[in-house]
Amino acid sequence: MSTESTLSHDIHEHDEHHDHKPSGFLDRWLFTTNHKDIGTLYLIFSLLMFFIGGSMAMIIRAELFAPGLQLVEPDFFNQMTTMHALIMVFGAVMPAWVGFANWMLPMMVGAPDMALPRMNNWSFWILPFAFAMLLSTLFMDSGGPAAGWTLYPPLSLQGGQSFAFVVFAIHMMGISSIMGSINVIATILNMRAPGMTLLKMPLFVWTWLITAFLLIMVMPVLAGAVTMLLTDHFFGTSFFNAAGGGDPVMFQHIFWFFGHPEVYIMILPAFGVVSEIIPTFARKPLFGYSAMVYATASIAFLSFIVWAHHMFTVGMPLTGALFFMYATMLIAVPTGVKVFNWVSTMWKGSMTFETPMLFAIAFVVLFTIGGLSGLMLAIAAVDLQYHDTYFVVAHFHYVLVPGAVFALMAGTYYWLPKWTGHMYSEKWGKIHFWLSAISVNILFFPQHYLGLAGMPRRIPDYSTQFADFNMISSIGGFIFGASQLVFVGVIVHCVYKSRQKATGQVWEGAKGLEWTLSSPPPYHSFNEPPVIDSSTIAHADSTH
Amino acid sequence: MMTGTQQDEMQARRKRAVKTAWLLAAVAITVFIAFLLSGILAA
Repeated sequence: MSTESTLSHDIHEHDEHHDHKPSGFLDRWLFTTNHKDIGTLYLIFSLLMFFIGGSMAMIIRAELFAPGLQLVEPDFFNQMTTMHALIMVFGAVMPAWVGFANWMLPMMVGAPDMALPRMNNWSFWILPFAFAMLLSTLFMDSGGPAAGWTLYPPLSLQGGQSFAFVVFAIHMMGISSIMGSINVIATILNMRAPGMTLLKMPLFVWTWLITAFLLIMVMPVLAGAVTMLLTDHFFGTSFFNAAGGGDPVMFQHIFWFFGHPEVYIMILPAFGVVSEIIPTFARKPLFGYSAMVYATASIAFLSFIVWAHHMFTVGMPLTGALFFMYATMLIAVPTGVKVFNWVSTMWKGSMTFETPMLFAIAFVVLFTIGGLSGLMLAIAAVDLQYHDTYFVVAHFHYVLVPGAVFALMAGTYYWLPKWTGHMYSEKWGKIHFWLSAISVNILFFPQHYLGLAGMPRRIPDYSTQFADFNMISSIGGFIFGASQLVFVGVIVHCVYKSRQKATGQVWEGAKGLEWTLSSPPPYHSFNEPPVIDSSTIAHADSTH
Repeated sequence: MMTGTQQDEMQARRKRAVKTAWLLAAVAITVFIAFLLSGILAA
């Protein structure tokens, strides 16, 4: 073999190495630095956590099916409500959005991969250890955390030795989230293809950029708060211990300074996904692109100055209550802009109702219901009645389940053909949608009435006057839980059995760099920077 | 495949990305430490 041909062979092998997946299982999944593989890992992990957290919800609803203690001890019930929340928030919804970010952001901005691929690998692989540690507390003598996901002292400090595991698990989740956010920001700010200016970026990229900044600002606050809880519990400090001069109410302020932006961390990427899907299936450009960007930024800013609306019943000066009430109500303005723009995008569009669009429309309607009940809770005077009732449970589940979770499902159906190269079963997708959309309302809507009638949250037993609505809610819960098995079936079928190949563009009305790639996309997305023009991206003329 | 200029540009972008990452990490660590210190000093 001549020197020239040897060199050519080497270059060819070099290219092969970069164009194809690693062959070994460990190389492919454990040591991967590829954004698509890491995205897949995040999505599988979050689906697993969704079912673990969902199983806990089934235990909760089974216990509440009828008055009286039915199945579990009260302390275990409290562990279930606490773990359900922690797992769904930190294990299911947030990692699912990071999975979406990993898969889609580099392709949407025309980058070959995330900016920091090794850190990307690390930020994922921390998570299984964090949740193994958190779940292991259920098998310890002192049991899992049972003070609610808010971990309010002094109740949370009355737990046993397993509390240290909970705190360390939260630290690891926080580190993972911060590393993921750093990667997202570094990628979006530095790795965009030439010509992809900030105001040409897809809405999903914008919402994730803003979400990542939120995460970097609030996750260290949560880490600090739980560190103080840890030292109060094990090292004799009194940050939140009134007997030692500490202030337990201070913890509530600190927690909600993290906790309220956290809600937006879960919902802003959902806004982004819905803003991608509706224009595709309405076959119209997004109405008011720039307004959507500014509305997202406004919501993020306001999320930092409304935390004490979770604490009206704790007691605060009238001026404080008024400030937090009006600031909270102000969020309805940019949120209203968003809902108006989604509806305006659909107005006179050539709409079709494939599964992603169905989930997106359900998101707009049902998230708005959650937003409106949030406005009711924002009114300080009436919050004294609603606080800690099932009305609050109904409110935040409307925001997070037909809100964030429906958007995750919409996004999954929307991009699944791109990810796998195969079309999913539209028939089963629609069956999944209708089962979910109907049952989620049977599950959560009666909880508004339970709350208004005075049923407190976080109790395993209740007065018989609440029996009927609880039974209806539980039946809705069981149907909703079972219908998610259809979701898994659709995904498994699409990945392994579907014979219908997906085209590169997949959807007739889809626009964006990710749709210029084949389905599935090559292992390394853009080896050459893509050309940015009005034919390839949706918002090419947004600045005109 | 990328041309030489494109590869140089990509290298420069990656360097900028690393700088961005360090800056953001510093912000996160500062928030964490400042927050703990504020609790300790106020006690």
